[in-house]
Amino acid sequence: MKVGLFIPCYINALYPEVGRASCELLRRVGCEVDYPLDQTCCGQPMANAGFERDARELAERMNALFDRYDYVVGPSASCVVFVREGYPHLLKDYREHACVDARIWEICEFLHDVVKPARLDARFPHRVSLHNSCHGVRRMGLSSPSELHVPYHSKLRDLLAMVEGIEVAEPERRDECCGFGGMFSAEEGAVSVAMGRAKVARHMATGAEYITGADSSCLMHMQGVIDREKLPIKTIHIVEILNSTL
Amino acid sequence: MSTHSAAAKKFVADAGRMAWHDQALYAVREKRDRMMESVPEWEELRNLSSEIKRHTLSHLADYLQEFERNATANGMVVHWARDAAEMNETVWQLIREHGGRRLIKSKSMLSEECGLTPYLHERGVNAVESDLGERIMQLLHLPPSHIVLPAIGVRREEVGELFHREMGTEAGNSDPTYLTHAARKNLREKFLNADVSMTGVNFAIASTGALAVCTNEGNADMGTSFADLHIAIMGIEKVIPDMRALGVFTRLLARSGTGQPVTTYTSLYRKPVPGKRIHVIMVDNGRSEWLANARHRNMLKCLRCGACMNTCPVYRRSGGYSYSYFIPGPLGINLSMLRSPKLHHGNVSACSLCYSCSGVCPAKIDLGEQIYLWRQQLDALHLADPVKKAAVKGMDFVMAGPGRFYGAIACARTAEKLPRGMVENRLNPWSAPGRAMPRFARETFNAQWKRGTFKKDEKDEQ
Amino acid sequence: MNSKEEILKKLAADGMPEYPCPEFGFTPQHFDRPAEIFAQRLEAAGGRMTMLQPGETLDEAVRRCYPEARTIASNLPGLACATVDPDRVEDPRRLVDIDLGVVAGSFGVAENGAVWIPQTIRHKALYFGATALLIVIPHDAIVDTMHQAVARPEVDDFGFGCFMSGPSKTADIEQALVFGAHGPMSVTVLLR
Repeated sequence: MKVGLFIPCYINALYPEVGRASCELLRRVGCEVDYPLDQTCCGQPMANAGFERDARELAERMNALFDRYDYVVGPSASCVVFVREGYPHLLKDYREHACVDARIWEICEFLHDVVKPARLDARFPHRVSLHNSCHGVRRMGLSSPSELHVPYHSKLRDLLAMVEGIEVAEPERRDECCGFGGMFSAEEGAVSVAMGRAKVARHMATGAEYITGADSSCLMHMQGVIDREKLPIKTIHIVEILNSTL
Repeated sequence: MSTHSAAAKKFVADAGRMAWHDQALYAVREKRDRMMESVPEWEELRNLSSEIKRHTLSHLADYLQEFERNATANGMVVHWARDAAEMNETVWQLIREHGGRRLIKSKSMLSEECGLTPYLHERGVNAVESDLGERIMQLLHLPPSHIVLPAIGVRREEVGELFHREMGTEAGNSDPTYLTHAARKNLREKFLNADVSMTGVNFAIASTGALAVCTNEGNADMGTSFADLHIAIMGIEKVIPDMRALGVFTRLLARSGTGQPVTTYTSLYRKPVPGKRIHVIMVDNGRSEWLANARHRNMLKCLRCGACMNTCPVYRRSGGYSYSYFIPGPLGINLSMLRSPKLHHGNVSACSLCYSCSGVCPAKIDLGEQIYLWRQQLDALHLADPVKKAAVKGMDFVMAGPGRFYGAIACARTAEKLPRGMVENRLNPWSAPGRAMPRFARETFNAQWKRGTFKKDEKDEQ
Repeated sequence: MNSKEEILKKLAADGMPEYPCPEFGFTPQHFDRPAEIFAQRLEAAGGRMTMLQPGETLDEAVRRCYPEARTIASNLPGLACATVDPDRVEDPRRLVDIDLGVVAGSFGVAENGAVWIPQTIRHKALYFGATALLIVIPHDAIVDTMHQAVARPEVDDFGFGCFMSGPSKTADIEQALVFGAHGPMSVTVLLR
């Protein structure tokens, strides 16, 4: 299976280890991984701030970069959702089923729904608290949204169940927003930080050593709160756990 | 900084009150969840509700006329008002013709929308709010901060002091039962001596010409039990086709809003009893124009349950008064933009795009999605925040080419070495008290890949 | 052009496509023992349900449920303990703060503990102004959900009617639940 690895801008700059883990993990489950060089941004930050038009060029760029891959896989639910939902009306010559939006996957759903590995040979002997990020939950279905009357499911939990030694918890208010929200975190700084603090506190109340999830952006925001208050918990992207061999 | 953001900052500064407000409203959300779990066909019901509303809105003129015909045949009098001014004038004229100066009213967001109470006050009519929460707000001379829980921002001690002052309750007693029963006693006299009663309308049933009014306190029904004239005011979107539709909506309304299986009282007013009169005023006040707005007409499906407020993590932590419109939360952001983007665009920042509101809405209104759409329209309306716009333009410039992007990262690494005060300040949008900056990595993933770090290694076998 | 014409004209030009009235695509929940569910949900709403005991008269049931009531208003035939006939009261204000109203309801709704009360007394003030309310309904008259409730013939022919679920309540002061906001403090539904 040939995969084009999509590494969102901020992961590229701040969390290359998440990119590395994604690449290694995909290879370990049998994918051929390629990384089209010189990726920048999918355009989500501009669009969420109200400037979708400014995301058009980036969308074209992204679409062209990943033109030759059957599967485009990235470690960020919200960026992947943006490509899926936004590109159909952003791309100039949009063709249904032919553009990147039809072939892009968030890495956990790709593993869970497409690759379906029987084992991961991963070991992570720690207690983790699962961060169910809004776009992952409510736009992508990585887990069942608490608002809806649907049976509980969590693709992240299913994957973590293959990791040896791990204990998985979920915080109270299991999918309440952490307050990142892209430009929201800057424009509404006071509320954003209040939400982040509350979210980190609920993760800590599970007794977890780590907060983990499929969106580095939420983790980055919560890590900012953790660092400032020197709280005894860490954030880690879920691919790093799924890729943690001894 | 948007108007919401600036006001929210003050609300957040009172950490104790914010935490209480957040928890109190989230508890209502949890009650709603338990109600949802007790109804296996919940999602089907929401679908049906949304489709009935869509159908009704697409035949609104027909249903309004059907309602008018049937209500008239039942002995009610129906009025049409194109805007707030006409509604207020109609009410005033009815009161004048009827005689009397004492109006007892139950909760109606439409009366807030139209500024009815101050309008009547100027004309010497004392309109007394009878819903306990609304009464508290009226005595405090403050608007409601939530559409279903008007006094949610007021603490019990504040009510205790207020009632001590206004009703002579014991000083220092802030027990909710004691205070509620004091208000009961105090309002009894207002109910019994009112000349005119006024209610809102939850549903106007076209096929029977009946009005459905839902309350928990029974205040609407107490009000209409004594005065001879009952004036009911409703937005034109409140009409529903038939009793079957009423069955669907009454199953959803209170479960979604307050987490009860139904409101204590769901009263149907169909025919006035001899000697009494019911006048219904159907008010447009912008609604027909909103209906013509294909992107945002879904807002007219709203049942006014308040679930979107209870679940909104931003509303819970910023309070009703941080929004510039009389309706706050996701509903208020959207309705205020329909009302006037110029006056109310300062609310659209109050959303982290978590989409929880869309998931709890009993009419399946795409509230979060519509906020996203409003943000896209601000620039064309010349209402975009210039600072934010500059930030986006800058971001866009940087992202447009890899050279700029990776060059900018290199610059940022240098900036990181500057003293913290120079980086974490007002000019840095990420900088907020209570959140530290993330650190740039020594080498980007892109550079690592270029260097060949990820050339097929032993892990790639299999 | 008057306001009605103006509004109708605007609505005619709203450009909204027509959508057909949707059909019910599901079977609503059904309860094997609706009276049990009714009793539970009524209790959760602050009310209570009781059955007329074998051999018990309506008078005895009223006394059993509200032994303290001194002023009792009812127009139910054969209720000897009634002290006021509400149909003979001119001024509805006289019915306010009466200890107990004993009134007829048509049926109960299991899913929410509500009882349909079509107005069968002269002044509806009794339903809302009495301190306590005893609502008498036939023992087999409990439907599962509001879907069946609104289709009942009793909800097709009335002047005023009310689905009433338990006593009047409010949580407007700090979300603390208090019974007896303006209406009855206590509601009992008697199945006979």
